[in-house]
Amino acid sequence: MQRPEWAPDEIDIERPSVARMYDYYLGGSHNFAVDRAAAQAMVAAVPEAPLMAQANRAFLRRAVQFLTDTGVRQFLDIGSGIPTVGNVHEIAQRNAPDARVVYVDVDPVAVAHSREILDGNDRATVVQEDLRHPERILAHPDVRRLLDFDQPIAVMIVAVLHFVPDDDRPAELLRTLREALAPGSWLVLSQASADGRSGGERAEAERVYRRTDNPLWIRSRAELTALFDGFELVEPGVVWVPQWRPESADSAEDAERAAFIGGVGRLGG
Amino acid sequence: MADPPGATAAAPPGVTPEHRSCPGTFARAWAKAVSGTSYLPMTQAQLEALLQRLTERLAAALVSEPFDLRAGHRVGAELVAAHVASAEGLGRTVEVIQLRLVRDLGLVTDDVEDRMARLLAAVATGYARALRDRTLDEQESIRRAALTARAQAERALRASEARFRHQATHDPLTDLPNRTLFTERLGAAINSPGRGAERLGVCFLDLDRFKVVNDSHGHQVGDALLVTVADRLRRALQGHLVARLGGDEFVVLVERTGGTDDVLAVAEAALAAVREPAVVDGHELAVSASIGIVERQVAGTSPGDLMRAADSTLHWAKAAGGARWAVYDADRDRRELARYALSAAIPAALDRGEFYLDYQPLTSLRDGRVVGAEALVRWRHPELGILRPDSFIGLAEETGLIVPLGGWVLAEACREAESWATADGAPPFVSVNLAVRQVHRPGLVQQVRGLLRHTGLPPERLQLEITESTMMNTAEEPVRALRVLADLGVRIAIDDFGTGYCNLAYLRDLPVTELKVAGQFVAGLRAPETRADERILASLVSLAHALDLTVTAEGVETAGQAERLRAIGCDAGQGWHFGRPEPAERILDRLR
Repeated sequence: MQRPEWAPDEIDIERPSVARMYDYYLGGSHNFAVDRAAAQAMVAAVPEAPLMAQANRAFLRRAVQFLTDTGVRQFLDIGSGIPTVGNVHEIAQRNAPDARVVYVDVDPVAVAHSREILDGNDRATVVQEDLRHPERILAHPDVRRLLDFDQPIAVMIVAVLHFVPDDDRPAELLRTLREALAPGSWLVLSQASADGRSGGERAEAERVYRRTDNPLWIRSRAELTALFDGFELVEPGVVWVPQWRPESADSAEDAERAAFIGGVGRLGG
Repeated sequence: MADPPGATAAAPPGVTPEHRSCPGTFARAWAKAVSGTSYLPMTQAQLEALLQRLTERLAAALVSEPFDLRAGHRVGAELVAAHVASAEGLGRTVEVIQLRLVRDLGLVTDDVEDRMARLLAAVATGYARALRDRTLDEQESIRRAALTARAQAERALRASEARFRHQATHDPLTDLPNRTLFTERLGAAINSPGRGAERLGVCFLDLDRFKVVNDSHGHQVGDALLVTVADRLRRALQGHLVARLGGDEFVVLVERTGGTDDVLAVAEAALAAVREPAVVDGHELAVSASIGIVERQVAGTSPGDLMRAADSTLHWAKAAGGARWAVYDADRDRRELARYALSAAIPAALDRGEFYLDYQPLTSLRDGRVVGAEALVRWRHPELGILRPDSFIGLAEETGLIVPLGGWVLAEACREAESWATADGAPPFVSVNLAVRQVHRPGLVQQVRGLLRHTGLPPERLQLEITESTMMNTAEEPVRALRVLADLGVRIAIDDFGTGYCNLAYLRDLPVTELKVAGQFVAGLRAPETRADERILASLVSLAHALDLTVTAEGVETAGQAERLRAIGCDAGQGWHFGRPEPAERILDRLR
């Protein structure tokens, strides 16, 4: 008999998880041997991998800081992974204690872990869902409970789009999300890019991530810029993430080594 | 340039770095050394402020009396807590403190080298301890998350399997068990009966005229009615498995019965539950049901047997008018099965040539001449011997096999009759029965015309016998067909006249040649004192003659009957008195 669509997936922790690999790059210990082995293979191929993750995480921090400074009080972080050091609710709620955050991730272990961390925080929650089903995310009761879609919401899709191939129509996924947002909402995107990198490195990185459930889909700056369709990019647009509103001039040096591009856009109207 | 040492070293812990003094050269160098060793969830300024605070603590510890190593431990732990938590972070911290702290801060004590070594050791110790604890905590927490996720997935899987199983075994409309579950439970009851479960029963229930509800009120109302009926059955028959097999068919499994009465009680309860008028969507629907009941020993039966028997029994209840139950009767079932088997064998028997024709003479009552002969089909069955039409024609009519069989009879009769010859040169006509379906089938005219051309039989030597019931449905097409045949010269006779349909209007519309009066009127002629039959016969004869029709009396068994019929004016007779059905040759031999 065919498995019905609503039947749950099984948990396979024998496969490396991109969420736990990312935690390893960031210096965390929320990972298993299989994740570390894959992450180490990635570091062997692309020695800057931990630096890339850190730069991306710093971009996330600055973006959330920027948004809370702008007055945003609602965050929908899709593909949040293991919410360890420097997660969105910590940054946002430190700046604005009334900020509300919904994390979304498809990895059940990451979700279980998030739930544990968020236990007791009634302004932050986690939902297990796939970025590829934005309509389900938008309809989820926990999302609806915590977020008011009549008010601006910052949708964060940070270090995730490189796991969404063009076949999954990322532009349509983003349009679905955009159409649910109130004017004045925000979109934060970042993803791995290979602009200016050697083909060999890119191939190696792609080979490593084929071992996970989430193969890599590298995009150029122009491609990522196109995904901000409907949003007005704030300065400086889509750039290497260290160049996005750096805290000091020297922290943006060698920015292309970060290999992540990102930007922040505002929904007009 | 050196920062003043110890100025704020005594500030209580927990005060935010922003309220501290500005980071000095050393703190900035330290911050630069550790940034990038792991992800730090803070700005460079925040990091510098943090490290400035720790710098002041270290400086104070280095010069304090008594020398207290715990300050070093605390600094190590705080670094880890602030996420300066990697091997590289520790290495660079040790390096920068050793190389620059004393110099940058201009610290002066007697045993500074000794103190520095011990302080660094304390920082490294505190750092390593804290990092180890943090690593273990994180490992524990991710493992716990994995276990939780797995447990949730398993729970979800079990729930989905239960849901899947429920869907697979229940009818989505009524949520009653479906055929799958019923078959499973019946199989279990039969194949592994428990103690005291030597007998069981099954009620097959079907709503009467449910199709009418669907047709007149629509499927939504029909579905709602089924839901109502399902709910009532579920309530009324608690303790028994009630399943919906599909459509308006339900079945009840009655386990551990003591005899038929136990199942009858269930069937009565089911009928009573269904009988209550149902108000569905504003329509009050009168509902009734029929039930087929089988109750028997578990030993020696099979689920398939039981279900088939219950289904047949249900049809008996339906055939008896519905709104009732019927109990399985093995003898009746055997007879019906045999009949069914017989009808199923007709096509093959036709192919193998197992049918043949006998003829019964139609004799003129005026001069005793044989004017015609009725073809009567016989089946030379390989196992059952010679079968007369009454054992298979009814079935053939029900199943539609009468069309090929009747077609064969007609063709064979025409073929044989063509060769009949008599001394006086006026051979008898052949009379063939046509079933309702044959008359109503398009192409009858073509078929008869083709046969006449093919065999060379003159049309006036063929008589087609139809029953009154054929004309009950006076569709135009059959009437037109018969009229065409009559115009060709074919004789049309009404068989069993006076026993069926009593509207004589068709006699006006139809080109009838002859009336065959049913034998039961003739039988009445035996008793001289009852004159009613004779009067009826006389009236029929005068009616027929008034319409220019001839009359043949059927079932003539005695010379007395023949004499009376002749006296009445009846034209011809048929029956044992004139000759039993036999091969045409025998009849012809007597004529020669």
